Amino acid sequence: MGWNEPPDGNRDREPWGGRNKNDGPPDLDEIVRKMQQGLGRLFGRKTASSEAGPPIPMAIWLVFIVVLLIFCAIDMIYFVNTQERGVVLRFGRYDRTWQPGLNIRLPRPIETVELVNVERIRSLSHKNNMLTQDENIVDVEVAVQWKINDPTQYLFSVRQPDETLNNIVESAVREVIGKSKLDFVLTEGRSRVAQSQMGLIQETVDDYAMGILISTVEMQPAKPPEQVKDAFDDAIKAREDEQRLVNESEAYVNDIIPRARGAAARIMEEANGYKARVVAQAEGDAARFDQLLAEYSKAPEITRKRLYLDAMESVLSNTNKVLLDTEGNNSLMYLPLDRLLDQGRTGNKPQTQESTSRIMESQGAVVNGNPRNVLDSRSRGMR
Amino acid sequence: MNSKIMLMFTVILVAFLSAFSIFQVRQWERAILFEFGEIKRSDYTAGLHFKIPWIQSIKKFEARLLNLDQEPQRFMTSEKKEVIVHYFAKWRISDVEQFYRATSGGDVFYANNLLAQRINSAIRDEFGHNTVQQVVAGDRDDLLSLVVGNTARLPKEMGITMMDVQIKAINLPDEVSSSVYERMRAERTRVAKDYRARGSEAAERIQANADREREVILAGAYRDAERIRGEGDALATEIYAASFGNNEEFYGLYRSLNAYRQSFSSGKDIMLLQPDSEFFKYFNTSEGGK
Repeated sequence: MGWNEPPDGNRDREPWGGRNKNDGPPDLDEIVRKMQQGLGRLFGRKTASSEAGPPIPMAIWLVFIVVLLIFCAIDMIYFVNTQERGVVLRFGRYDRTWQPGLNIRLPRPIETVELVNVERIRSLSHKNNMLTQDENIVDVEVAVQWKINDPTQYLFSVRQPDETLNNIVESAVREVIGKSKLDFVLTEGRSRVAQSQMGLIQETVDDYAMGILISTVEMQPAKPPEQVKDAFDDAIKAREDEQRLVNESEAYVNDIIPRARGAAARIMEEANGYKARVVAQAEGDAARFDQLLAEYSKAPEITRKRLYLDAMESVLSNTNKVLLDTEGNNSLMYLPLDRLLDQGRTGNKPQTQESTSRIMESQGAVVNGNPRNVLDSRSRGMR
Repeated sequence: MNSKIMLMFTVILVAFLSAFSIFQVRQWERAILFEFGEIKRSDYTAGLHFKIPWIQSIKKFEARLLNLDQEPQRFMTSEKKEVIVHYFAKWRISDVEQFYRATSGGDVFYANNLLAQRINSAIRDEFGHNTVQQVVAGDRDDLLSLVVGNTARLPKEMGITMMDVQIKAINLPDEVSSSVYERMRAERTRVAKDYRARGSEAAERIQANADREREVILAGAYRDAERIRGEGDALATEIYAASFGNNEEFYGLYRSLNAYRQSFSSGKDIMLLQPDSEFFKYFNTSEGGK
């Protein structure tokens, strides 16, 4: 400090304080004097150069004053747009609020104006992952739209209104999610969550008297966090699978039940058909027999004989025959039955002849074209 | 000329003096007037006010709500789980003189730090008694009343009024979050399995029911069909009996002959015959009979 000590023997220890106390006023005087000199030079030279008369400086003054007045007038006139309100402060104190239109204020140092847009809808969005009541984590994104509805409150109540609103939104979103369960948030609760968030935000904003109106709170569909997204997707898929399985089995039902009914109808129809057929056949057989019987009873003997011979003729003409006209069993007879059967099958004319027996063969010709099969089908139906 | 300069000098001096002696308090401000560093007056309303230049000085304070937004803090819950809490608080200066004295010249940043310490300790106490679930689902008013209770002496001590405390975020530390994710994943897997199993159950039920129904339909149809067939058979038998019963002996003949005819209709049969039946009555002799 020694080298900094004033050499003129100033007893004051503090250099700054000393100078302020002793040298301050002269310094100021000097500045004022210098300013005077400068101004004097400015005006003095002009007056000196136009020694002829004062009209020219008077004109300059006049022009200066008119320009100043015009400038003030322009500064005093305000056009307030429809969507704006003007908050007028007189010496910093709130004085009045302008409605849209032409407005006039006092010149600048006396009154100042803050124009606030009260119609514009502003928006902010907030996205974060947060804990739900059941300690799950969920991604929530909320978009809030708001506007200023009281410009004086907006200006005078809270220092950083926009940041404050951000904070309020964040805390309201978190609180509502924190009171809800994950499933509720993810599924049906979305609109109700947004609704209560909006109520909470508006309530807090009113508490702070911020002059803000919340118009909507739009909550994007809440999503499970990226880390567990696949598991959530799978659960949703599982729900679809459940529905799919049910639908598939219902399709199966729709497939087999009508078929079964159809099959049942077929069984019934077949049975009805069978019944009709059997009865009709019986009636037919009976009618035939009855007519035959009527003729038979007129001439029983001859009819009997004729019927017998007809039938035997039909039978014998249709079969391979071996006629044995031997009495007793003294002679041994060889009959190649298998070959006879083969011939019967292939239809070749047999030429076998045995010495001791007359063998008559004839290829069975169907004499009776349509052999009646009276009870054949009936026995089949009896099963 | 000289008087002109004098006039100009006075105007400038007045302007200069008034610039130092007039001050505005704006709508959102409070002010303290100091005289030689001593508080002289603090009850200014908004508007224009005067002071003596250089002797008196002014310090202005914010009258609006102020924001306290601290870095996220870690707190322990009653289950010894750590949570990261991010809160904000709203406060205002209620007594500018006290505030000026208590915060070393009205430093808002300094005041924020003091407030944060008190709020932290209040939250620490509160969270220490609660589980994570209670903390997450907790009501905002509970926390606020607690903090207000803990800061009841603030207006006296610091000239500050607490307006609101709200929690912006409660998060779990990363290492805990991952285990939460694991739990959520397991939970979802459980739900998925449940859905699928329920689906299979329902499907099985529906199919079994349908199968049963089909059996019932078919069996009922069989029953009715057999009844109808039986009726048919009965009716046919009745008709036969009524007709054939007229002459049983002739029916025997008629039916036998038909049966013979039918039995040997294939053409593959072989008959070994002795010509002594009635058919061969005239076979060996024309007189008939042997």
